[in-house]
Amino acid sequence: MKKYLKVLYIALIVLFLYLPIGTLMVLSFNESKSMTSWQGFSFRWYREMFSNEELMEALGNTFTIALWASMIATVIGVMACIAMNAMTDRKRNIFMGLNNIPLLNADIVTGISLMISFLLFGISLNYGTVLFAHVTFCIPYVILSVMPKFKQLENHTYEAALDLGASPAYAFFKVVLPDLMPGITSGFLLSFTMSVDDFVITHFTRGAGINTLSTLIYSQLKIGVRPTLFALSTVIFLLVLVILLISNYVKSEDKDRTPKKAKKADEVTEDDYIYRSGMTLGKKILVGIVCVVIIAAAVKFTPSTPGEVGENGVVYVYNFGDYIDPELTEQFFEETGYTVVCDYFDTNEEMYPVIKNNTADYDVICASDYMIDKMIREDLLMEIEFGQIPNMQYLSQNIRDFMEEFDPGMFYSAPHTWGTYGIIYNTELVDEEDFEGDVSWSILWDEKYAGKIIMPNSIREADMVAAKLLGYSMNTLDEEEMDAITQKLIEQKPLVYSYANDNARDLMIGDNASMAVITSGDVLYAQEDNENLAYVIPVEGTEVWTDCWAVPKSCKNYDGAMAWINFMYSYDAAVANFEYLTYAIPNTQLDDYVYEDYIEGETVLSEIGIINPSEEILARCETLKNLGPEGDDMYSRYWKIFKSK
Amino acid sequence: MAKDTTLIQMKDISKSYDGEIVLDEFDLNIRENEFITLLGPSGCGKTTTLRILGGFTKPDTGKVIFEGTDITDMPANKRPLNTVFQKYSLFPHMNVAENIAFGLRISGKSAAYINDKIKYALKLVNLAGYENRAVTSLSGGQQQRIAIARAIVNEPRVLLLDEPLGALDLKLRQEMQYELIRLKNELGITFVYVTHDQEEALTMSDTVVVMNKGYIQQMGTPEQIYNEPENAFVADFIGDSNIFDGIMIEDRVVEICGHKFPCVDEGFGRNKPVDVVIRPEDIIIGKPGQGMIDGVVTSNVFIGVHYEMCVEAGGSEWLCQNTRSFPVGTEVSLNVEPENIQIMNKPQSEDEEAISLEEVLGEEQQEE
Amino acid sequence: MMKKLFSAPFIIFILVGTLIPMGVVAYYGLTDRTGAFTVENLLAVFSGDHLKALMLSLLLSLTATLLCLIMAFPLALILKNSKIGKKGFMIFIFILPMWMNFVLRTMAWQVLLEKNGMLGFLGIINTPVAVVLGMVYDYLPFMVLPVYNAMARIDDSLIEAAYDLGASRNTVLSKVILPLTVPGIVSGITMVFVPSLTTFAISNMLGGGKVNLIGNIIEQEFTTASNWNLGSGLSLVMMVFIVISMAFMGKFDKNGEGTMI
Repeated sequence: MKKYLKVLYIALIVLFLYLPIGTLMVLSFNESKSMTSWQGFSFRWYREMFSNEELMEALGNTFTIALWASMIATVIGVMACIAMNAMTDRKRNIFMGLNNIPLLNADIVTGISLMISFLLFGISLNYGTVLFAHVTFCIPYVILSVMPKFKQLENHTYEAALDLGASPAYAFFKVVLPDLMPGITSGFLLSFTMSVDDFVITHFTRGAGINTLSTLIYSQLKIGVRPTLFALSTVIFLLVLVILLISNYVKSEDKDRTPKKAKKADEVTEDDYIYRSGMTLGKKILVGIVCVVIIAAAVKFTPSTPGEVGENGVVYVYNFGDYIDPELTEQFFEETGYTVVCDYFDTNEEMYPVIKNNTADYDVICASDYMIDKMIREDLLMEIEFGQIPNMQYLSQNIRDFMEEFDPGMFYSAPHTWGTYGIIYNTELVDEEDFEGDVSWSILWDEKYAGKIIMPNSIREADMVAAKLLGYSMNTLDEEEMDAITQKLIEQKPLVYSYANDNARDLMIGDNASMAVITSGDVLYAQEDNENLAYVIPVEGTEVWTDCWAVPKSCKNYDGAMAWINFMYSYDAAVANFEYLTYAIPNTQLDDYVYEDYIEGETVLSEIGIINPSEEILARCETLKNLGPEGDDMYSRYWKIFKSK
Repeated sequence: MAKDTTLIQMKDISKSYDGEIVLDEFDLNIRENEFITLLGPSGCGKTTTLRILGGFTKPDTGKVIFEGTDITDMPANKRPLNTVFQKYSLFPHMNVAENIAFGLRISGKSAAYINDKIKYALKLVNLAGYENRAVTSLSGGQQQRIAIARAIVNEPRVLLLDEPLGALDLKLRQEMQYELIRLKNELGITFVYVTHDQEEALTMSDTVVVMNKGYIQQMGTPEQIYNEPENAFVADFIGDSNIFDGIMIEDRVVEICGHKFPCVDEGFGRNKPVDVVIRPEDIIIGKPGQGMIDGVVTSNVFIGVHYEMCVEAGGSEWLCQNTRSFPVGTEVSLNVEPENIQIMNKPQSEDEEAISLEEVLGEEQQEE
Repeated sequence: MMKKLFSAPFIIFILVGTLIPMGVVAYYGLTDRTGAFTVENLLAVFSGDHLKALMLSLLLSLTATLLCLIMAFPLALILKNSKIGKKGFMIFIFILPMWMNFVLRTMAWQVLLEKNGMLGFLGIINTPVAVVLGMVYDYLPFMVLPVYNAMARIDDSLIEAAYDLGASRNTVLSKVILPLTVPGIVSGITMVFVPSLTTFAISNMLGGGKVNLIGNIIEQEFTTASNWNLGSGLSLVMMVFIVISMAFMGKFDKNGEGTMI
């Protein structure tokens, strides 16, 4: 009976550990993009996985960084252990204390402190900075694994080797090192795993230019995590699992082969069992990891062809993660002869210091309206020579009016995508009469829908909803109005199911809530998976946002930048981006494009109200403005008041 | 000497690990106030026997009876026995006094009683005043004494000792042997002692049980075990011995290496193959032609009390000990008094199967 | 003498990778936007909403730490006593999930716990309970491994000795096993408490934006609010807890026995 309880307990813990992993594995076979609804079995994401260069690049980065970081950390850590072993106890304790700092330090503090130090000293964030950060947090794991082995070490063996004529180096490598090997292997493995698993520190130190799997996932949250990542993780996970199982199997074979001696069970010491099993298992895992890395590196370097530079040189593009159809870079190369190198960021705020501090030279960047405003004011952008962009004639007229608000006269920016905020609702889960005729933002304060409302989890968008409802500008700097906005949001809090940016769409697809504030671009995407979803822009008006291409002062290849923007306005690129993102592309060539609407069948794009709202609605809309540091502080202050209530 | 009342009976005990038999239908009686030693090479089952007594290992079959009560299924913490472990097993997070008080606190003794007991026990093991020391700061011998003190304060009826002196150096070991004998006499309780060191066994015990491969080879007083080994294994294991294949020609005459020797044994029959044991110190070395058999000294080592020499005679090596040195190459004669020749039957059943000393030692080295 | 030189790379990394960045955080934390000295960013932690977030963080992370301990201790005990409780198995079970990315694993809980998810009936999504669950899930290995390692190091004969001296199961547990496992427990507590206290990703993903922890505030200051000075000031305050943890660990785990591997 007791034994069953024990087994049950272990089983529960294992279930707890592996249930989420199993879930992801199942989702990787889901036909749908959604995480919350099952729409049939498919290998679609596994196929897509191999053709997704960005993903393969991130995979390569993840494993090469992990490998280098853990190797460097292992060498440095072992050296430090040798030095510490020769020290007095007091000195050694100081060293161990220092060693504990990165280990115990909060990830967020480590990440942030490294990031601001790099930026302060003018070091551009790149592969090297991530690697450096990883080495920093890996060293303590190595030292903690190796140091105890040093304590167990018989000093005599080293001396015996010297006595037999070995040089100190020879004695170390032939006598001491083998004894330390189990500790070194486990330190290496632990470092490797920690490096692969790390998100927070990488998130802060990568800044411009490089993605690992974890940051790629986080950046995809902006437009929705693609199940390709689940597929990839499943493959990695199963690979590691198989390697471990094989190594376990090989180990037990080894054991069977050793002849059974007259060794009695009561005389087998636990120590020697652990020692031996740790050793062989460790070695096998090591071999496995090396295999994985080689595969990853091979995958990383086969599809992309580094070093092949187009006849017209290279265009460096700095963009939101996953914000163009990835195949367009190849097409651009073929059409214009420019090689494109893309780097990615998640938020405007992450991109801004990179451009401001000039830590990397980009030719073209993508930024949101208010950030364009800020950068124009701070003189960070170059004027765009529209004469070099013939395709600009296709820019939709309605977006031009909004551009006046952040780029008066339209000198500095060229819109890439645009959209509105509105309410997405599930026709099955709301009273129909509530959504007949004009709809007010006040529907989000309706007690009837308590626990079924999703609000944005970002300062400006949440504030916008309340501001519009109260009839204020969404860019208000009036303390009284801000206070009223905050009170309004606090009043709504008990009714809200969750504050979500990234996964609001998915929650709606999975019928988890009745309505959500969402950007229009996400609606078509959501309707693909749930036909009960509809979108409305409330009568009080809303925010219109525009993400634009712009050219920073650091631009080295101005013609290339112009060619890139021009290419983005070509019919092919516009269609590809629309199909990939389902965001509105402000391009008149798309007006007649026939979209396979999931609700109404084939529809001409210009007639889809979701992405092309009427003039009347647009007249009531505003764009986000840059508020300046004091304004930012004020919004942040009120946001924290709201959040802490 | 021990009284004749049986305290513990082990009946038909069998135990195997992973299909390997460690004890096979093992029977043992332990008398009250006896110092009984289980002696044998590694893997002979002596430690398992002790663990079964202590309650740490359950036998597959058989019973342990303590004063007429079956205690086979009684857990270790309820048994009126205490153990002194091979590795001392002192609790590292407690000081000396706390270690000793551990068992007393559990049985709910008063603080005053506990204090007295600690003082008494420390005095008994010659460590008075060590109460507040950390156990990790003590030497091996001191730790061992604390382990003994910790066991005896509980006033067990039986003290089980699992190679308690194994980790100590020679001099300390000899001192501790006398201490243990003194303790046993002062406390008047039963000691069950496990060792692979024959000298320890012979020095301290009332009764020695020689074990091999899960069987008792011989049980008796140290004198009996030494002087009258019942089979070649015992003879080989206890002390140094010359063991020859011999033929019992008739009563009182045995042929060794082609030479007839007079002996005192009778009743083996005529022309019967036997094992003959002669202790090296019983071989008298004389001038050639003066003894039973002539030979040549092939090696000579001084080992303190006497010289140990090998003599090649009659096609066999004879190990001899003598206070006089005969240089290598000296021609000598060998003689043995009839009463010093020990005749044993060749092993017939598996129970008595003797294994060579080399094999035993070989195994031991591999395990250590 | 040669040997001591071997510590040079380590010292460089500690200096450049840890100490100097700490100094930079301290610099930002003790200045305002204009670069003038101020302690306002430190005192900001006592302002209403910051303090509230800090208290909530403390409450949730302590709960998570306690739960981890409650789960890990019996597990370590069972594994110590059973044949499968060998090192390889532990690495297998607890390190393996780390190969599925941290963000994805946490997201999977989100999927499971959503109203219409497999465990939606629990109704804990977007509440502090879900955040605690996420913390326990993500940091349990950091508790289990040191506790198990400390326990595995206890010689079986010590436990037998205790039984031999008449101790009951519970006494053996409380008087022998527990005190000898303390280094592992302490190291486990620190390794779970600190990351739980400062997390922002878990509360973001499982708290539905309704659970505002100090980590979220710091992250917000660095990303959306762009107030590095305030963010650094709050980070400095966080370091106080880290220093306390280090002191705590140093006191109970003098020999560095509470290791993960």
